[in-house]
Amino acid sequence: MTPRLRTVVAVAGAALVVRRALRRRIEVSPLWPLPALEEPISGRPRTRALRLPVTGHERVADGVVQLRLEGRDLPRWEPGAHLDLVLPSGLVRQYSLCGDPEDTSSYTVATRLVEDGRGGSREVHEQVWEGSEIEVRGPRNRFPLVDAPSYVFVVGGIGITPVLPMLRAVRGRADWRLVYGGRSRASMPFLEEIEKLDPERVTVVAEDEVGLPDLDALFADLPRDTAVYCCGPEGLMAAVEARVPDGATLHLERFAPRTSSEGNGAFEVELRRSGRTVTVAADSTVLAAVRAELPGTVYSCEQGFCGTCQQRVLEGEIDHRDELLTDAERDDSMLICVSRARGERIVLDM
Amino acid sequence: MSNTQARLPRPVDSERTALKARKVSFSWEDTPLHWVPGDPFAAHTINVLHLLLPAGERWFVHVYKQVLPHIRDERLREDVIGFIGQEAMHSQAHDEVLPHLKELGLDPTPYTAQVDWLFEKLLGDRTLPPGKARKWWLLERVAIIAAIEHYTAFLGDWVLNAEELDRRGADPTMLDLLRWHGAEEVEHRSVAFELFMHVDGSYRRRARTWATAFAALVFLWQRGARFFMENDPTLADGRASFKDFYESGKQGVLPSTGDMLKSIPRYLSRSYHPSQEGSTEQAIAYLASSPAATAAERGAA
Repeated sequence: MTPRLRTVVAVAGAALVVRRALRRRIEVSPLWPLPALEEPISGRPRTRALRLPVTGHERVADGVVQLRLEGRDLPRWEPGAHLDLVLPSGLVRQYSLCGDPEDTSSYTVATRLVEDGRGGSREVHEQVWEGSEIEVRGPRNRFPLVDAPSYVFVVGGIGITPVLPMLRAVRGRADWRLVYGGRSRASMPFLEEIEKLDPERVTVVAEDEVGLPDLDALFADLPRDTAVYCCGPEGLMAAVEARVPDGATLHLERFAPRTSSEGNGAFEVELRRSGRTVTVAADSTVLAAVRAELPGTVYSCEQGFCGTCQQRVLEGEIDHRDELLTDAERDDSMLICVSRARGERIVLDM
Repeated sequence: MSNTQARLPRPVDSERTALKARKVSFSWEDTPLHWVPGDPFAAHTINVLHLLLPAGERWFVHVYKQVLPHIRDERLREDVIGFIGQEAMHSQAHDEVLPHLKELGLDPTPYTAQVDWLFEKLLGDRTLPPGKARKWWLLERVAIIAAIEHYTAFLGDWVLNAEELDRRGADPTMLDLLRWHGAEEVEHRSVAFELFMHVDGSYRRRARTWATAFAALVFLWQRGARFFMENDPTLADGRASFKDFYESGKQGVLPSTGDMLKSIPRYLSRSYHPSQEGSTEQAIAYLASSPAATAAERGAA
């Protein structure tokens, strides 16, 4: 054999051996040789806006309307979750889901007409009717049901909506009690269903009959690690907050943000890393104000859907107006092209 | 002198257009797994896009966010901003197909978790140490994106003209996703290349990153097609082979192998500019009639 031929044979032989080894390796593990990301990012389902037909619009108590929205394969939710409703005027309002979480063909929400409110409930009562279509976003959960050996629910009036699915969920699997207060029995939605759940565990307190609930007695001998859930008017929540004993955990759900985000207010944005503070005017955006100081700020669609301008928020409550970020992302970041501050000040990490 | 002149990229100015992201959405409930009727191989070969693009285009955005401060040309800056928004939407739109595939019994997660690793870790920011090496790495990634965009524009142009898919009765929602995406790729096909020329432009880097990108694309694509064919619950003995690809290319349900080979020397030509191939006019005409893009237009108005 000439040396050249020998080289060719040796290379071809080596190639065959490598090929066989590779094939064997791939047979053992078909997706060899790339490693995988432990928590994959792609393919996580995102919640997007849906337009759903209103198939039910009925009065379930004095001043309370229940809406039923139907769809196919609706995103699932857990007790405590709410839905964003985009009302005909463009106002966005959050309403707790009070139907059956297992039902993926409809969503149920209930809302009380607030006479001197911000206009959202009036629209639901007067401008939404059976047969109309409504845009919804979500569901999202800011009021999740935690695992606990025992639960205490303190509810005022329409605050029953997020708690109702929780009651159905804990029933029969944990120790629980409910105090349900309201102005009068006629104004309290779902009363019939709730009284049927378990008369031993439910205390209904109608103000016109017996006055306000006795919270001191309720919290007198609470087992350790009890989860206390409270949803109702500001006064009731403050009273509960003041009485919850050590060892219990408190979960509050507010009907409305502490400071009204009605319309667009002006607020301040502190850019902590660059040590500057800018003011966002009522008719401007955080992005515009920030770009005036930091022209290199990245952004693209300016409408809250591409996600390019997402920034980390260090302090302050966020008024999210996009429909892109996930719940986890919403905790500490915002899309500065559309979202705003809920209070007077917000601090960004930029 | 005239010789160097002739070897510079020659853009076709009439192909330029202002870029903006369109907020599209698709509903996948009615799309079958084999959305090219009777041709699972073609459907799955194209489905590989949904495996690669969510992570890949997210990575484009991630890299371009870092390059933005280095752009000194206002017009190019505007283009890059539009490009970023379009790419972010492409990533989201393809990402939404994945849960649907899972519902149809073909869980893509084993593959996408690897693609996520590739783009988030291997091609991420920390692959090289800080300082000079990291600056080099940023330029290298910008050049890789320019090379990949050569292929996305090629595929975009192909899908806009793939009449065979219509004749076969392919699923209209999937076709709209592909053509909306393809049209935007054709629309912004010059941006990545112009950005690369602006921040670096070295021919050696262009050739080197082309080789990397091309090898990676071939590797990932054949692997993705094989992964889908082997894991498709409706196929008893699903296999993917290069021969199938060649045959499908001849029939026009996939890009033809010859066209793909011919596009290689074009990218490597010194006078190459993406505006020399594809038609912005055709892309814009499609976007004006695309169900998803027109719905987005109405939503924005």
